[in-house]
Amino acid sequence: MNNTMKVLLIFILLVSSCDDLLEKPLQNSLTQASFPISASDALAAINACYYVFRESGYHTGMYPIDDIMSDDARKGSNPDDAASTIGPFDTFEFAATNGSFSNWWNTLYTGIKRTNVVINLVQDIEMDQTLKAQYIAEAQFIRAQLYFDAVRAWGGVPLILTTTPTVGVVRSTLEQVYDQIELDLLDAIPNLPLKAEISLNEQGRITKGAAQGLLGKSYLYQKRYGEALAELKKVITSGQYGLEPDFDDANGINGEFGVESVFEVGAVDGLLEGIENGTNFYANVQGVRGTPNRGWGFNRPTLDLINSFETGDPRLESTVLYVGEVIDEITISGDGLTPDETRDSNNNLIEVECYNQKVWTPGTIVAPTQGHNRRVMRYADVLLLAAEAANETSDIAQALIYVNQVRLRAREGNNDVLPDITTMGQEALRGVIMNERRHELALEGHRFWDLVRTDLAGSILGPFGFASGTHELMPIPQIEIDLTQGSLIQNNGY
Amino acid sequence: MLNSVDRLQRMKKICLVSITLVFLSISIALAQTLKVSGRIVDSENGEGLAGATVLEEGTNNGTIADGDGYFNLAILNQNAELSISFIGYLTKVEKIGNRSLINFSLDLNIEELSEIVVIGYGSIRKSDLTGAVSSVKSEELVKIPASNPLQALQGKVAGVQVNNFSGEPGAAPTVRIRGVGTFNNNNPVYVVDGVILDDIGFINSNDIQSLEVLKDASATAIYGSRGANGVILITTKRGAKGQLTPIVTVSSEISMQSLQKKIELLDGNKFSEIVNILTPGTYNNLDALPSTDWQDVLFTKSPIQSYQVSVAGATNKSQYYFSVAYFKQDGIIPHSSFGRISIRVNNDYQISKRIKLGHNLSFVPTKSQSTNGGAPFNVYRAQPNIAPYTLLGAFSEVPGVGNVLADLEYTNSFSKGLQLVGNFFLEVALNKAFHFRTSYGPNISYTQDKGYTPAYYVSATQNNAIDDVRRRYAWSQGWLFENTINFNKNWDKHRIDALVGFTTQDNSNEFISGSGQNLLRSNENFWYLTQNNLVASSISNGIYDDNNYYSMVSYLGRVNYVYDNKYLFTATFRRDGSSKFLDANKWGSFPSLAVGWNLINESFMKSLSVFSNAKIRASWGIVGNEKIPYQEAYSTISDGTNAIFGPNEQQFVGQSFGKLGNPDLKWESTKTLDFGFEWGLLRDKLVGEIDYFRKNTYDILVALQVPGYYGNSGGSVFYNAGEVRNKGWEMTTSWTDQIGDFQYKIQGNYTHLTNSTQKVSGTGGSDDALYAFFNGYTVTKTTPGVPIGSFYGYQTAGIFQNIEQINNTPHLATTQPGDLIFVDSDGDGKINTADFVNLGSPIPTHMYGLSASASYMGLDLSVDFQGQGGNKIYNLKEIVRPALYNFEAHVANYWTGEGTTNIEPRPTAGGPNFSPSDRFIYKGDFIRLRNVALSYTLPAALSAKIGTPKTRIFVSATNVFTLSEFPGYSPEVANGGAIFNGIDTSVYPVATVYSGGINVTFK
Repeated sequence: MNNTMKVLLIFILLVSSCDDLLEKPLQNSLTQASFPISASDALAAINACYYVFRESGYHTGMYPIDDIMSDDARKGSNPDDAASTIGPFDTFEFAATNGSFSNWWNTLYTGIKRTNVVINLVQDIEMDQTLKAQYIAEAQFIRAQLYFDAVRAWGGVPLILTTTPTVGVVRSTLEQVYDQIELDLLDAIPNLPLKAEISLNEQGRITKGAAQGLLGKSYLYQKRYGEALAELKKVITSGQYGLEPDFDDANGINGEFGVESVFEVGAVDGLLEGIENGTNFYANVQGVRGTPNRGWGFNRPTLDLINSFETGDPRLESTVLYVGEVIDEITISGDGLTPDETRDSNNNLIEVECYNQKVWTPGTIVAPTQGHNRRVMRYADVLLLAAEAANETSDIAQALIYVNQVRLRAREGNNDVLPDITTMGQEALRGVIMNERRHELALEGHRFWDLVRTDLAGSILGPFGFASGTHELMPIPQIEIDLTQGSLIQNNGY
Repeated sequence: MLNSVDRLQRMKKICLVSITLVFLSISIALAQTLKVSGRIVDSENGEGLAGATVLEEGTNNGTIADGDGYFNLAILNQNAELSISFIGYLTKVEKIGNRSLINFSLDLNIEELSEIVVIGYGSIRKSDLTGAVSSVKSEELVKIPASNPLQALQGKVAGVQVNNFSGEPGAAPTVRIRGVGTFNNNNPVYVVDGVILDDIGFINSNDIQSLEVLKDASATAIYGSRGANGVILITTKRGAKGQLTPIVTVSSEISMQSLQKKIELLDGNKFSEIVNILTPGTYNNLDALPSTDWQDVLFTKSPIQSYQVSVAGATNKSQYYFSVAYFKQDGIIPHSSFGRISIRVNNDYQISKRIKLGHNLSFVPTKSQSTNGGAPFNVYRAQPNIAPYTLLGAFSEVPGVGNVLADLEYTNSFSKGLQLVGNFFLEVALNKAFHFRTSYGPNISYTQDKGYTPAYYVSATQNNAIDDVRRRYAWSQGWLFENTINFNKNWDKHRIDALVGFTTQDNSNEFISGSGQNLLRSNENFWYLTQNNLVASSISNGIYDDNNYYSMVSYLGRVNYVYDNKYLFTATFRRDGSSKFLDANKWGSFPSLAVGWNLINESFMKSLSVFSNAKIRASWGIVGNEKIPYQEAYSTISDGTNAIFGPNEQQFVGQSFGKLGNPDLKWESTKTLDFGFEWGLLRDKLVGEIDYFRKNTYDILVALQVPGYYGNSGGSVFYNAGEVRNKGWEMTTSWTDQIGDFQYKIQGNYTHLTNSTQKVSGTGGSDDALYAFFNGYTVTKTTPGVPIGSFYGYQTAGIFQNIEQINNTPHLATTQPGDLIFVDSDGDGKINTADFVNLGSPIPTHMYGLSASASYMGLDLSVDFQGQGGNKIYNLKEIVRPALYNFEAHVANYWTGEGTTNIEPRPTAGGPNFSPSDRFIYKGDFIRLRNVALSYTLPAALSAKIGTPKTRIFVSATNVFTLSEFPGYSPEVANGGAIFNGIDTSVYPVATVYSGGINVTFK
């Protein structure tokens, strides 16, 4: 072999010996291909599902547009603030390009992805079987809750049940989405613990009662009243829940994870802002604007709401925070750019500067209002849903029991106000229950959906611009229509 | 501010070095004994070779042949050898023996005569070249006193846009070869003596032998996935074979820099007048207020020093080149500087007849100080009716921006670096036809930054309550291992030059940084993150932010075939494997084909004696750009998605699927077409070439939103979706002639370029555009049909003169008479961002350079002009006004009532008149006298007398003047990012530089 050949041989050897040089695993960053693989991964994965409820987008895309669309609240803040983005929700002039819709939609599906990780991938991890079943059940509840939020807003939405969605997905029907919610909840309920079975430190994890409550509520939304009543009764008879003696505590700091809490989102009430520090922006958006600076001042109670309370109903005082009011030794001065009173062209008073007291965080040195624990479902809601289901199934007596339990607590011992409802016809009681929901659950994000599902929205919200046949559902975000190149079909009227 | 002690010390240093030079220039006296004489002639025609060098080997003893080639030399040693050399001829060495008369005939060096062009992995005769390659000579590169050799390229090469947008010491210019081809990284790749690099800031311009710009695919395809933005090849100097007497070159250059021009701003009086309109009664007596031009306060004159010594030569079996250079630039803003020592050793060792070993090594320590980067913006905005100091001598309070002098005083930011780049090679001549070469090229760099801010108080908005110290260490290392076999054969009319190669490369870099507060001892010796010198709990370290690891494996090949010196054919191929991409896209292939026809060698051309060269060539190829954010291929796990449970509000660690990646990511590709014609007329007095090119870049990485149901939190995912086209033509031509002893050359180049975005997302929907934002405003929109980074904003239509006009015209809510009229371009009766329109392109459509040089009796004069145009500049620094700042001078012509002006609106502190609009868009056209240089080379006779064959003294001026309508410091505004380009958000201005120096060559 001559030298030339030797060198050529060396060259060829060099060429063929460098295969693994191209393998450079990503440094300092875990990839989805290697997660979740252990019991601790499984726990981290289910914990991450809860995160979605603290994300600002979960709250109807940050701003409480559902209450603003209802007759209970107006945009709030000062007249210019978000006038072009949130203002249109007062008058039903919003478009599919409104950022609230895409924020909300994206947040719900981000949460859904995280639940799919647990439901689909934790199955194969070798770990304690009871815990594994519980984690999956928690994820199933959360997925059901997120789809419930979505189906209520948009009707049939794309049903994503995998961690690897592909292009070309179309909208499922409204029935298919509700069926999936039912399937998930029925699957989850046997594996979820009772509230009392969860340690104090981990209160906030999903309970059997929460799942039964959501299932009952979703039956009710489908007008399946018998099934709704049966499911809600399970919560009522579980012995796990009751009403806070003081109405303020139903949403306030003293009632956190208390007896009335069915599904509550924990948040850190510290001095540090930012979701990474465990906070929730929900209350900040609605907190008092100006002095004291507790937030942005959106979701302003309407005069209509204020005037609708029965005389002497103590819940009015607990719901509306007026300018000039002193609370926890702090005087509410409000915002300089917000008029104390707003009048229309005929000089009729149409708005007064006031705020949502249910998100008030007591204390004198609270910097941001970001530690509020949002109650996604509380026991009073369960009772009123049950009352409605009972009334619709003609069990008037049972309905009255549930409604009067709520009124009993509301009157806080003052027997001169909020007398017990006594026997009346189904139709009349329907109205009473609706009013009770309005006053008990005001500014908690129920009113608009209640009006829609009971077909009252057209008559009550029509004067504000609500168009029957369109505004029962929100528009699919325009960007989603664009990005899917039309495979998602827009709702009627948008 | 530069204090006088600093200045004095600087002058002392300059003097010391100058004195050293003088000593060096005193040559060694020689004892002389024997005499040899003879004549040196051309071996072909027997004509005497005037100026040929005669040297006694191993000594400095030598002489130069006279006008007829005759020489006389007294030699020291009878056994010595004489070396005879002359440019363009092969050097001859002969033993003297006992001869006293020796005649030499020298053979022409064919290779040197036919111009050789360096190309990737080799070199080629210019006449055989089929690609578009421009060469820049070494003397052109040292004309501009700058740390980075690329600065000298400005206006010199057709198709190459070089912009020095920052005058910060050590700053690298932006280089764009044949347009802007991607929304991402548009930087060319640099190959220094075979080592592939992203930055050549470490190179001393004096060490460069030649610089080649590879522009079309025929030239760049050999660099495959790195060729799309063009390639710049740099070959550093080596010792010449047979150069047995070392050539020692010593040079020294001192420059002084000053601000090119000031921005015209309001003076204290006029500014106060406007404030009185905004807030009546603010100032009672305007004349009593101070007037400060903060630009005068900030900018200063500052020097550049550059010294260098090099030795080049050869022994029988080796060649060597050794150089040491020192470069120091002080910025025109105090407390900014860049210093660099470059040491280079390039050696070749002929081990045996067939085996050669060698290396190129450079060792470059640097040291720099940075000032507060916001200083130029600060002086642009600082209110002019405030004196810099209070009556008590303290820094005065400057609302909104702070006192710039205090900024300078309290900013301490230092950086030290070290870079080692080398290449070790072995070459084996296997036989006459086959050559094997293997090389290993390491590239190691290290930087450490140190910053300290003391506790100070100037005002409520400019203070630092607790002092802090910052440290950052970064390292990067890479190596390139290349193996090539070259095949070279000529027979009959055929000539083949072929190459195959196999290369591997590995790169890694990381940095770690940390900071701490409240130092016990604050002097510079204690700027460390030591627990016992600062509040331990304030140390935030372990910030391990960035890392980059990637490797490549490549196969390459090229065939050059020439038939009868007429017909040229080149085929190039490279297959690159890269760790940056996941499985399916690990490997990519990059081919190129090119043909050429040397018309001049056809018989029908020979009759046209006016032509001395004529060649046409065409090339096609596909090249790639792998400089993309490759980590985007990975789908990662979110951190910090925690749950909060229980009354104790405890965080429970949550992790889940987070950011979505795109595992299908791959490099961006560019399809290039090039047609060229080269000509030479009148025995090459007039030469030139013209090229037409078209570059279609596709698979451009674009961050696109994905459907919400993907669960990606509204975040974007990178896709290979975009498409951009650059097309144009470029021409270079030069005329060289001489009239008696007067030699002159005029050369020019011109480039015309059209850039157009073809596709962004490709959907045609609302997402088919790429936006750039600044301070909440959309400032550029890149969408199909417009150039990359086109400006975006309102179109204005004059000024509202009265209230009726406002009522009849769509307007913004707060509009008053005297405000700008924005055009309701969508015609919906409302003014909002939907009315934003395309306001022009940041990419010049034409660029040119024109230079003339002349020499007469040792005097050389050169003048270089350079310019560009067809682009727009967005004066964004004027827009962002959250507080009351100074205004540009044009604001003084403000509207004062109906009919007063339709150009300059009523004074407002900010608001709608400062919305992004064409009011802030300027023409980018400029022409600049880039450089004038005059040098004088001492007559050879005089030099010989004092013992130095060549002594040259020179003076030059750089950036002498610039004609432009843009009111900023310089119309060169190139922030670097493709979609945020041509936008002036305030920069460190580039200076005018006056220089003088001396260059001495000992032989």
